[in-house]
This record gives sequence, structure tokens and C-alpha cells, in this order.
Amino acid sequence: MEQLKKILDKFLETLLIISVAVLVIDVLWQVFTRFVMGNPSSWTEELATFLLIWVSLLGAAVALGRGAHLGIDYFTHKLPKRNRIQTELFAFAMISMFSLLVMVIGGISLVRQTLALDQISVALHIPMGYVYLAIPISGAFLLLYGMIGFFERLKELKKGVSL
Amino acid sequence: MSFPVLVLIVVFLVLLVLNVPVAFCMGIATMLSIISMGDLPAFTAMAHKIATGIDSFALLAIPFFILSGILMDHGGIARRLIDFANVLVGRFRGGLALVNILTCMLFGSISGSSAAAVSSVGGFMIPLMNKRGYDNDFNTSVTITAATTGLLIPPSNIMIVYSLATGGIVSIAAIFMAGVIPGILVGLGLMVVAAVISIKNQYGESGTVATGAQAFLSFLRAIPSLLLIVIVLGGILFGVFTATEASAVAVLYSFILAVPVYREVKIRDLPNILLQCGVTTSVVFLLIGTSMAMSWVLAAENVPQDISRALLALTGNKVVLLLLINTLVLVVGTFMDMTPAILIFTPIFLPVLSGVGIHPLHFGIIMIMNLCIGLCTPPVGTCLFLGCGIANTTVTRIIPKILPFFIAMIVTLIICSYIPALSLWLPDVLGLLK
Repeated sequence: MEQLKKILDKFLETLLIISVAVLVIDVLWQVFTRFVMGNPSSWTEELATFLLIWVSLLGAAVALGRGAHLGIDYFTHKLPKRNRIQTELFAFAMISMFSLLVMVIGGISLVRQTLALDQISVALHIPMGYVYLAIPISGAFLLLYGMIGFFERLKELKKGVSL
Repeated sequence: MSFPVLVLIVVFLVLLVLNVPVAFCMGIATMLSIISMGDLPAFTAMAHKIATGIDSFALLAIPFFILSGILMDHGGIARRLIDFANVLVGRFRGGLALVNILTCMLFGSISGSSAAAVSSVGGFMIPLMNKRGYDNDFNTSVTITAATTGLLIPPSNIMIVYSLATGGIVSIAAIFMAGVIPGILVGLGLMVVAAVISIKNQYGESGTVATGAQAFLSFLRAIPSLLLIVIVLGGILFGVFTATEASAVAVLYSFILAVPVYREVKIRDLPNILLQCGVTTSVVFLLIGTSMAMSWVLAAENVPQDISRALLALTGNKVVLLLLINTLVLVVGTFMDMTPAILIFTPIFLPVLSGVGIHPLHFGIIMIMNLCIGLCTPPVGTCLFLGCGIANTTVTRIIPKILPFFIAMIVTLIICSYIPALSLWLPDVLGLLK
């Protein structure tokens, strides 16, 4: 499982770095075309918002893997270790459930609906369904990290019992 | 209260207490609430709200200001600002404390991050002040509280989040300008407290006045860093750039400073910096996405109107209302981080306050000031814990030393609450009030 997490981390992190870099270059290019060439490029703004959706959703999975999402640990912090791991187990179960139901299942149905409506983006002529594909894909990664977190805690709890 | 709203509130609070990340608390509570309404395809509707919530060109300024903040944090910019601040205020008794505060204000402004101000400025200033005979816990308290002023002095990401949370009623340029005077006031308040304590405890000797040449040199060296404020704010104010374009220019500018000019950041550090930016961005954006879905449900169930009616039945007095809401946000702020608090409370309280004639800009500034105090208080205070970590001290030891600074912050908050002109005058003069 640790191996899986490492590979997953590396893959998503690389993807995220490239996306942020492209995002920066894209918007700088827009500023450049507007001020220096006096003729703002039409597709950069759209590409930027699409990239932003992808960056924030893929990044959400990386952030989950690193425990970077903000929570309130004031109450659970005071619990004995065993109970604290139990609450973490519960949190990962909740995260996995949300990722599966809303992000993966809801996301897929959103993508299908949007593709069926044949919505095409104005400047880049990309079907909007593909842009929204970020939701189910990121949902799948969130689910993976959620499950990894869940089973790690489960293992810890079992070990605690045998000790 | 309708059943779906009850579901939403109970689920949200239970998950929050159990340390489920706030973004997921909002997501799950909203999802269950929609299911309890019974007549909507809950999962698809949620996915749609999350996607459309983050689909905005204006929001792009957030990752870019985060990125330029990280570049500056690593780029040696804080040290040059410290030299400059030293010339301005270093000669007074307690001079280094004043330098610390002024640098936090400048650095916090250009980097837009209080955490970066604590680590960049505090990491350098706290050890220096310790060496000159200041008390370590005092130094830490100064840094922690001063670091939050950068969130009020523009450019500031939390203000972009607020502008979004108001549904665009408030423009980014207007809220930026509204924060300038209150931010400077908080800084001045902290300086007064720091000076009084320094004089009382004989901290630091009165330094020598810098010669004209020294002063000029340090100013010259600080110009490139200070220029960033001018470019970003000037660009937005005069309509040269949108906030997003300005933020992209800020990235380019801080990149040039940090990499080829100051040579503090190496090319091989860049992937990690981009990654850090991506992760921080996504934390904020997942919050934005799920909070948009939650506000949508709250609005559909008329919650803001109900709360508005309940509060107005309690009192129609503007001052009492402000006091009530200030107290609530202050308490919430001690537990909750700034971004989720802004995203959750803005849509709920804005209608009440607009109803009694409190300007949305004024309300935004008050809320941010409140939450700034929350960043420095236990149980959840990003700046507090970061500062304690850097200075190698504990929260318990900090508390007595930080209290006078809290008092300064609260007094400034009260002043700004009851004198709206402090927030509204500057945007008004600049023609940004609608």
C-alpha cells in the first residue's frame, strides 16, 4: 500500500507541477498579448479557467495524501490515542463516501449530461463535458487516498489490539 | 427551521468536531441535506455546484498571489525590507520590535500571506531581537500579531475570497482599498504597545540615527520589493490590469527578483515551489467549491432571510447588531481558519447587515479583522503555532505576553467597527464605491 501511495504521489505531483507551470505561462501570455501586442489572445482566459479547475481538483487529492486539508483538531486532539485513530478512521470513511458518491458518481453523470447537451466552450471549442471530467477523475484519486488512509488506520487499530 | 437545514447544521457540526476536513464537512452535510429534500438528483447537482463554484477567471488571482508569496518567502525579500524598516523606525527604544512590525506589514502586504510573514520575518527577526536583549516570548508575540496585518493591507487573497463570497457585490479593487487604513491602524496600535512595553522593560538601546547615505542605500535596495505593491495596486486601481493579470505580473516580478536578481531561489527549487502552490491552491478551492454548494442550499431554504429576521426581531440597533456579529465571528475565528469562516458566514450575515445599512465593504473589513485575531489565538491559530514553532517556545508561555497586543487589535477592531469611514473613505475617494 505504501508503494501504491508513493507511485500515486509522484504521478499526481508531477501532473500538478506541470499544470501550475502551464497556468502561469498561459496567463502571462495573455497579459503579454494584451499589453505588448495590443491584441489579447482569445483562448488564454478560457484555458486558464479550465486549468484552474483541473489544478484545484487534482491538487485536492495530493493535499488529502499529505493531510493538508484544514480541519479542527481541537476536540479530537484531547482524546486518547486509540480513540483519536478511530475518529481518523471515521473521517477517511466519510471522505471516501463523499468522493465516491458526489465526485465519481455525480461527476460521471454531470459529464454525461453535459456531453449530451453538446455544450461547446466559446474560444477553444472543447466540449464542456471534458472540462468537467476533472471531477470524476479527481474523485477517483480522492477515493484512493481516502481508502489508503482508512486501511492504514484500520491496520494501526488492529496492531493496537494484538499488543 | 426546515428539516433539510436541520440535517445540514447537525451533520456539519458533528463532522467538524470529529476533525473531518472542513471542505468535506460542508460537502457531506450539503449532500445529505439535498437528499433529505427528496426531489433533486443530489450527487449530480453537488458535482455541478462544485465545478461552477471554481470556474472563474477572477479566482485565478488566488493561486498566483500564493505563488508569488512563496517565491518571496524564499527569495530574500524580507531581509531587504528589514534593512529599510530599520532606517525608518530602528532608532527608537524598542526599535527592533518596531522594525519587526513594519516589516511584517510590508512583507505581509506584498506576499499576501500571514504564515509567510511569520516564517520569513520572524525567522530572521526573533533570533536577532533575542541577541539584543529582548525577551523571546515578547518577540514571538510581536511577530505573530503583526503578521496578520498583511491580510488587511492589499493585495490579499482573503479579500478576493470575500469578494467572491458576496457574490460579486463587492469588487476586488474596492475591498483592497478598504483594508488599507484599518491595516495601517492595527500596525500602529501594535507599535504603540510594543514601544510602551520596550520602554518599561528597557528592551534594546535607542539605536543610532542612520546617516543620510545609509538611509538612501537601504531605501534603494528595498525599492524593487516595494515596487511590487505599486505595480499591483496601481495597476488594478488605474484599470491597467485586472486583479488576475496583476497577480500574474506579481508572479513574474517576484520570480525575477528571487531567481536572477537576488539569486536566493535556484531553478531546481522551482518544481517544489509550484507543487506547494498547487497544494495550497487546491485546499482553498475545494473549500470554495463545497461552500458554494452549501450556500446554494442555505439560500434555497431561505436561511439568510430567516437569520436576518430573527436577528432583527432581537434588535434593530445597528451597534448592538455589530457587537453581536463581531462576538460571534471572533469566537468562531478562534476555532476555524479564515477562508472557510469567510465563505460560510458572508452569505449568511450580509443580508442582515445590508438591511440595517452597514456597507458590505465595511462588513468585510470587520470580519477579516476579527478572524485575524483568531489566527493568533488558541485552540486553532495558524500564526500562533507557527510562531511558537519558530521561536521554540510554547503557547502557555506566549499567552501573557501576547495579551497586550490582543488588546490593541481588539481596540482597533472596535474603532473600525463604529467608524465606517475608516474602511469606506479610501474606496470612495478613488471612485470605487457603487
